[in-house]
Amino acid sequence: MNKLTKTVVVVGGGIAGWLTAGRLAAKHKSNTEQGLKVILIESANIPAVGVGEGTWPTMRSTLKALGISETDFIRECEASFKQGAKFAKWFDGTEDDFYYHPLVLPQAFGKTDLAAHWLAKQTQAKQENNHQYSFSNEVCFQEAICEQGLAPKTIRHAEFADVANYAYHLDSAKFAVFLQKHCQDKLGVTHIIDDVIGVNSGVNSANNYTEETDTDDTVNKGDILSVSTQNHGDIAGELFVDCTGFSSLLLGKHYKIPFKKCDDILFIDTALAVQVPYDSEDSPIASHTISTGQEAGWIWDIGLQHRCGVGYVYSSKHSTEAEARAVLAEYVGDKFSSLNVRKIPIVSGHREKFWQNNCVAVGLAAGFLEPLEASALVMVELAAQMISEQLPASREVMDVVAKRFNETALYRWDRIIDFLKLHYILSERTEPFWTDNRDSKTIPQSLQNLMLEWKYRAPADHDFTSNNEVFPAASYQYVLYGMGFKSDYCHTPYALDDCDFAASQFIQNKKLTDKALSLLPSNRELLDKIKTFGFSRI
Amino acid sequence: MAQLVAIDNKNHLHLTVDSAKAELHGAGLHLVPAVMSEFTNMAVQYPLVITKHADTGQFVVAAMLGFEQGENLFWRDGQWQGLYLPLQIRRQPFFVSNPEQKDSGDFVICFDSESPAITSNDGQALFSDNGVDTEFFQQAKSCLAQLLAGELANKQLLEQLEKMELLQVMKMEVTFANQQCTTLNGFYTIDTEKLAALSAEKISSLHKAGLLQAIYTLITSLGQIHHLIDLKNKQLGC
Repeated sequence: MNKLTKTVVVVGGGIAGWLTAGRLAAKHKSNTEQGLKVILIESANIPAVGVGEGTWPTMRSTLKALGISETDFIRECEASFKQGAKFAKWFDGTEDDFYYHPLVLPQAFGKTDLAAHWLAKQTQAKQENNHQYSFSNEVCFQEAICEQGLAPKTIRHAEFADVANYAYHLDSAKFAVFLQKHCQDKLGVTHIIDDVIGVNSGVNSANNYTEETDTDDTVNKGDILSVSTQNHGDIAGELFVDCTGFSSLLLGKHYKIPFKKCDDILFIDTALAVQVPYDSEDSPIASHTISTGQEAGWIWDIGLQHRCGVGYVYSSKHSTEAEARAVLAEYVGDKFSSLNVRKIPIVSGHREKFWQNNCVAVGLAAGFLEPLEASALVMVELAAQMISEQLPASREVMDVVAKRFNETALYRWDRIIDFLKLHYILSERTEPFWTDNRDSKTIPQSLQNLMLEWKYRAPADHDFTSNNEVFPAASYQYVLYGMGFKSDYCHTPYALDDCDFAASQFIQNKKLTDKALSLLPSNRELLDKIKTFGFSRI
Repeated sequence: MAQLVAIDNKNHLHLTVDSAKAELHGAGLHLVPAVMSEFTNMAVQYPLVITKHADTGQFVVAAMLGFEQGENLFWRDGQWQGLYLPLQIRRQPFFVSNPEQKDSGDFVICFDSESPAITSNDGQALFSDNGVDTEFFQQAKSCLAQLLAGELANKQLLEQLEKMELLQVMKMEVTFANQQCTTLNGFYTIDTEKLAALSAEKISSLHKAGLLQAIYTLITSLGQIHHLIDLKNKQLGC
């Protein structure tokens, strides 16, 4: 009944599998005799889906935790710097319609509510017919850096250090190979290339478990004992991690945990993806994700070192594939005709539970949403971190950890869904895709409640009560005010009490902007220097 | 900006150099690069710090001459007041360039035509009337050779320091006699605790590579920060 956790079996390679195996192996010293044994079984026949070329700044701490050098990572994964996202044509679709969701928090965030003061400035500027400056530009120095195509640091900065907070864009296929090599060579993960053909549990499964048939009390009811492979026999372990992608072999197929769709909230169900080469070797590389609103969805544009990843994600209820191809072709331009278009179905949603018995799902096996705000990899990182940090020492505590994991993950999925939906509901675009998105029946009650509060004040950290938040209140501010939302402070004038301090902070932001613009090299220039010189560790 | 011109004994037969004026190149430098072979001489007066090259981010060793950009506390009354004139200043106005960018060792000696040390009459000649190098020019060349060799030695030293993780960020706040404060940023020093904890084999390998003395000289030289503060206080009139 109370077996110690000595072996973890990860089923499925890909980034989810390797990140989870890596975090476990690094934390629990799998490269030593006494360490946890981590086995990763990967099929040679199932290609990785390879979605997710955008990350969050969390990837920096993930790489550090894995003991990976930033220089090696950037050199081997065609990685570039990402300083947030630029949302173009989301509000009304006109040419100059854009806003930023940068990764640096608003100036003096937590010390004063600059959003309130910015809104007051806006009102005044409007009355005086003066130029109105965007929220993200007035409260944060990162938009200016991105608009100039600059990097978030210089070659003199140490690995992972920065001037402006950053994440990465990466080649997901190369990243998976890079992680695999590091996990095997440095972290002591055992790699088995084989197909899993069966799942062996103490009793048939949790679903049809009946107490009468359970005679072996050394086995927790319904736990997986081993997985059968084609050529390597049965691989046993105390914890099984399902990283089998959309097929969700263990959690979905074996445990039959239902999938909770959210296509009633987020309509996007198809992606058309292409890889676009640069015009020349020294073409600029954008240091942010560019997300451009289209008639039935939006186009992502992610600049790597050697190419851009571009894709149109759309709702097939609002667009035919032929129309979607035409939209993508228009965006990409002349090169489009020579490119190979990959079609990827997107079933938005997640499992109702993520940890069942001694099996936990990570990555696409747990759930997937449209790639807006790059939530896929960050959810993998958060899950991998939680599993490695809270790894149940024995079977006795596993259900306790599983319960917490499930509650946390469910909360995170709900918040992400709310946050993604927020991007759509303030638009004034008139195509059916956009008007349908604004139908209140499609907006989760939790988001509607928040929107009601934000009529009177800006999003604040206390709106989000979990210590496991994915998006900080600042992110909601950037999207809300970027999309032209106006909180009305006439009933909450106290928010404007510290106007002298706020004025000084607007000035401070200008200073930081000027300093950053004079100091930072272009994104391409820094990436070239990293290839030649590399960052030092300190 | 230096304007480099390749030297030959036809075009530059009558070129003369006033080496005393070479010092002017150091007038506004707060950091001057140092090569391993001159560490001991440097450490007599200047703190030796490790910093990063602005363009490449690579570590370099430099002598600290002041606390901010443009401040050389060893420059007073139009003269270098230090006992030892760093090679990087002494070499002025001569440079070597490697136009083919090859490792062949084919270097071309150049001079900086914008240098104040270039004179047309009352300096020292580079060539005799029949085009043979003067003793002065030979010395200048040996100075350049010492710099080139020194750069290689530095590279070896810094690579070892990085590899053995013996570098640490130097954090220092300095308060001058007039209560003015400055924080020293962007400098690195030897982590003496890690150095002390090195295995006998590693210490021995550093010694055999001729790097151990240089490492200790770097450490010792940091005491000269107090000398530098003293100079600054005197300049402030305190």
